[in-house]
Amino acid sequence: MSAKPKLAFFSFASCEGCQLQVINCEDELVALLGAVEIVNFREAIDERRDDYDIAFVEGSITRPEDEHEVKEIRERAKILVAFGACATIGGINAIKNFQPQEKVSQYVYGDQAATFPSYPARPVHDLVKVDLKLHGCPISKSEFLEACKCLLAGKQFTVPNYPVCVTCKLAENVCLYQKGMTCLGVVTRAGCDPMCPTFGNKCIGCRGLIDHPNVNAAFDVLEDLGLTLEEVTKDFTMFDGCHKEITEKK
Amino acid sequence: MLPKVLEKSKFAAFATALAGEYQVVGPQLKEQSKAGGETFVFGPVTDGAALRMDYNITLLSPKKYFLPMRETLLKYTTVGHPKAEAVMDTRQRVIVGAHPCDIYATWLLDKVFSTDHKDPNYLSRRERALIIGLDCAKPCDETSFCHDMGTNYVESGFDLMMTDIGEAYFVEIATEAGQALLAKAETREAHNEDFAKRQAFMERKQGGFHKRIPVDTKYLPEILEESYDSLVWEAIGRRCFSCGSCNLVCPTCYCFDITDKLNLDLTSGTRERTVDSCQLDNFASVAGGESFREQRSSRLRHRFFRKAKYIQEAFGRKGCVGCGRCDRNCVAKINSVETYTQIAGSR
Repeated sequence: MSAKPKLAFFSFASCEGCQLQVINCEDELVALLGAVEIVNFREAIDERRDDYDIAFVEGSITRPEDEHEVKEIRERAKILVAFGACATIGGINAIKNFQPQEKVSQYVYGDQAATFPSYPARPVHDLVKVDLKLHGCPISKSEFLEACKCLLAGKQFTVPNYPVCVTCKLAENVCLYQKGMTCLGVVTRAGCDPMCPTFGNKCIGCRGLIDHPNVNAAFDVLEDLGLTLEEVTKDFTMFDGCHKEITEKK
Repeated sequence: MLPKVLEKSKFAAFATALAGEYQVVGPQLKEQSKAGGETFVFGPVTDGAALRMDYNITLLSPKKYFLPMRETLLKYTTVGHPKAEAVMDTRQRVIVGAHPCDIYATWLLDKVFSTDHKDPNYLSRRERALIIGLDCAKPCDETSFCHDMGTNYVESGFDLMMTDIGEAYFVEIATEAGQALLAKAETREAHNEDFAKRQAFMERKQGGFHKRIPVDTKYLPEILEESYDSLVWEAIGRRCFSCGSCNLVCPTCYCFDITDKLNLDLTSGTRERTVDSCQLDNFASVAGGESFREQRSSRLRHRFFRKAKYIQEAFGRKGCVGCGRCDRNCVAKINSVETYTQIAGSR
């Protein structure tokens, strides 16, 4: 890698909100641009070059033409980072995976549906090798910066493999279950500096499941609290629809 | 040293006076539920009136002032000749309102962090902290099992110990440092009727606590030893999320992880320590991908063994003070009293 590594950002099926999070790193942008060169970033710059070292890929893969493009990015990039929930776990886009695809296409594109072929949303790692996953809807700015530092220094970046509960305890939050609410934090990967629970909202699982989640226990607990199986499944398929632990439950 | 009496109406002024010289931390309201339920935390105060000495239990114990949930251990730079500078918390601190169970926990942590490797960061904080205890006449709530663990009475580990005797606190002075603190309060000598009120408190206290585990906890190390292969662990493990909450709120858990954090210049950074949990998937993972406790049930069993057997064997007292924070914070409703009861009954 040259002295100043070249970064590029790409997006597939997504809202580009994760790219916006990069621009939101206002206090650190100058230092970041001192350490890297950004050569492709539709959200922020006009320049578009293909000589990148690290590619941040946002969005899920849901159209045939995406496949070719993401494979090309993989070939060019030394390091490919799946960037945000859509890219790492399929995310919100995977809600459509549980509905008839024709119906979904017609709902969005009406009588033009045939012009826009699409299929169930898939995370990027279903198609190409992913070197690092930065989870979240949107990604966490601090995690993005930490990952950048590690990538630049050639140091391993460790994605948390513990649930949101850990960070809630570190923040000394009152557990939402103690307040009579429900929360997916018990099986959801941490790293969000638990923004939702800290401000009184339940975790909706945007960072995906931890490795080896006890999904059965989560379904049991939520059903014990009066939720129907359908409601629990709905909670989990908002973001986690591509996890086999959830699809098996469906 | 003879005890003193501090009128409750003069307590806030005492704490405020202390806050002029020390960082004063004590129980405060964190949140009030719609139904009126209150949740408390230890936090810093400058105005003693913010202290809620009627609290039952806090989310985290005062341990967080000795072993913070997160702390910076050192700052380093690798430019030229690599340099590292230790970061030490040298604030003088007074912990107000610690209950006996949390004082016991501090005793244990002192042993842990001063045995073999002396932990400079822990000890720096601990040596600069004074503890004003607050005795309790009844368990915090139905989750507490401090009486089973023998931690509802403490004889030492505090500088002052306050007992609620109605309109006033009966203040026992355990150390000279405690006496110096109390000099900042408007106190009076304890008279016969104050001693009598304190005696009445102790009698109420005796009637207020009940044992909940059917077996004497002194037998728990042997009972656990025999239970190693019990199916009870498997059964409870099925419900466990391995979320780590039990460890993270525990006043005696002391495991931590250390990571280096780079600055964006990539040549300087900090070394950070964060508390860790043996319930987490990666806790016992080592290079090569092996994990020594891959199953949730074995991690859960390990925690109970630590609490009631291993730490007892290493330090002479149980690693559990019966505060019940683990159980209150368990989404799966795994309960210590039930677990010990089932283990004892399944032999």
